[in-house]
Amino acid sequence: MTSSKKVVLLGHFGVGKTSLFRRFIDNAFSEDYKVTLGVQIKKKVVELPNGKELSMIIWDTEGHTDIEDTRKSYLLGSHAFIYVFDSTREETYKNINEDLAYLTNIHSKVLIKVIGNKIDLIKEKTAKDQLKALNINVDCFTSAKTNKNVHEFFLDLANELTS
Amino acid sequence: MKSQEEARPFHQKTQHISIQYDGTITFTEGALFKLKKGMSLFEMHPFFEIIPSLIDEHKNTKTSVDHNFACIHLNDDDIERICDVTLTISSYGIEVLIFDYTQKYSELHTVAQQKNESILLARALELRNKYLLEKEEFKNSFIANINHEIRTPLTAILGFVEILEKTKLDFEQEELARIIKRESLHLNALIDDMIDISNIESGKLRVTEERFSIKELLKGFEKTYNKVAENKGLAFTMTYEDSIADYVIGDTTRVYQILNNLLNNAFKFTETGKVTLTASKNYQRGNKTSISFKIEDTGLGIIPENLDAVFDRFSRFNQDKKIAGTGLGLAIVKNLIDLLQGDIKVTSEVDKGSIFSLKLPFGIEIGSKSPERKKKTYTLPKRDKKFRILVVEDEESTQYLVMKLLIKEGDFFVDVAMNGEMAINFVEKRAYDLILMDLQLPTIDGYKITKQIRTKYGDKVIAEVPIIGFTANSKEGERERCLKAGMDDFITKPFEQQDLLYKITKQIAKKAAQ
Repeated sequence: MTSSKKVVLLGHFGVGKTSLFRRFIDNAFSEDYKVTLGVQIKKKVVELPNGKELSMIIWDTEGHTDIEDTRKSYLLGSHAFIYVFDSTREETYKNINEDLAYLTNIHSKVLIKVIGNKIDLIKEKTAKDQLKALNINVDCFTSAKTNKNVHEFFLDLANELTS
Repeated sequence: MKSQEEARPFHQKTQHISIQYDGTITFTEGALFKLKKGMSLFEMHPFFEIIPSLIDEHKNTKTSVDHNFACIHLNDDDIERICDVTLTISSYGIEVLIFDYTQKYSELHTVAQQKNESILLARALELRNKYLLEKEEFKNSFIANINHEIRTPLTAILGFVEILEKTKLDFEQEELARIIKRESLHLNALIDDMIDISNIESGKLRVTEERFSIKELLKGFEKTYNKVAENKGLAFTMTYEDSIADYVIGDTTRVYQILNNLLNNAFKFTETGKVTLTASKNYQRGNKTSISFKIEDTGLGIIPENLDAVFDRFSRFNQDKKIAGTGLGLAIVKNLIDLLQGDIKVTSEVDKGSIFSLKLPFGIEIGSKSPERKKKTYTLPKRDKKFRILVVEDEESTQYLVMKLLIKEGDFFVDVAMNGEMAINFVEKRAYDLILMDLQLPTIDGYKITKQIRTKYGDKVIAEVPIIGFTANSKEGERERCLKAGMDDFITKPFEQQDLLYKITKQIAKKAAQ
């Protein structure tokens, strides 16, 4: 039987949550920016290295500059949060540690991953140096546009959620 | 008029569903989604797959629990609806209430889209601006470095040509020396243009005000350009209205540069006929006056479609390579006129010539008739022994040039220090009458050495030695920086030999008079 896990995409608006969502689910990308209102939910079944399958139910939520504005109901029953920021915009990651502390405080058992998206627009070393200076740990740098690390990230997450 | 969506009765915008814990639908009422008894709600949309985890959370709770989810995108076949969903979990099963607010949320979507787009656009513009500023800064620093690198060898070329000109030369050698000097001066002028445009664009150029005679300035042009006209077989006339104020307050360097660039331009593009420069009073009220200048030529002229771009950077409409230039001259003119809050217009006719008309504002001192201060002359104080000068310079060609120039004068002994440490060493061992201090030196720069000389020693002979800074860096504010570091004067490379000798004589004379 295929098990399922709920994964929620969080972060500021315009950081590329919907682009990552579309890239992972439909392997599609569009330059047009369309605001996400509320939440859109889709699922994708991935095959794990052990031959089993996992149904990843991805909740693509609307972006907020303050994590506390995210509707709490969207976070219910989650197995993982993916905090996405725009690697080119400091305002989307400068408060990341406070935001992660807030999430951990209300959902202590949920796995949290941090993604720096739009890495095609900036040198990875520059982004890493800036984040290091702010004492921010990042799990993965992605580009929904070029498809860099997107599928790899979700597959690793699926593995971690089932191990 | 209400849309079809809005016109639907409220009950048609809701759906009530009852399900068992395994998701099987036991009851459904409403027309939003095509659901039937016996179907699994979990399979209708992945949103409902959250229900098992919520059941797990509340399996030990005896009372019913409500969960409200706002703004959920649900779709059935190709129809997407944006709904609020209420889940009531009790020991009997789960009640699901769906409210279709697609219309309301779509309106909100438009507002959110506009708001977010404008924020992202503002941020993108901010980043673009930051990028352009960084690029500009890089460009300016590049130009400043290139300027230094070119001026240093140019100083040597011009200096040695001047020395060469004073030796016995045959006619051909004299002609060759003259060409080298002319081309070097031209190269120097091009560098000046580059620096000027860079300073103007980065906002570093400042207007300085001083009292000067416009009429004397115009007479100077008459003298210079009469020679140019004669060499080119052209006529040149300069006229001004007597009613122009004798003395005005303004930036004499920039006014000179504007008129000089325009005259230079007129002569450059005129092969036959004449060039005229006229000046007239536009108005004079209180302590303000405005003077109109007109530079007219009978040259190539500009075609009408190019007139609008005549003051753009790098605009060169004439492709004749014999006419040298960077295309920066008129751009500098326009920028300087803007800086001085003046105005310029151009009219032109192909093969007949061009007229550049400009108005510049000046201040005037009411009731003051005193003449312009003339450059004071200085002579070296009389003494038996020669004056000892320390030249702190790392460039071999400049060391040689300065040594040759000063020794030839016959009044000076010259020591040369290649770097800061050597300079300090010399200063501690010998008494100097003056130090010529290069600013960019390896290890310790000229500013730091000067500060050290001025502050470290109790001995007045060392601490009060006159110091003249000299550098190929002609950045705005360099003179002030030198004076702030404790220097007495400043000279840029390449320098006129007479200027250097004047400044050296002045400082030694002033020190002797103390």
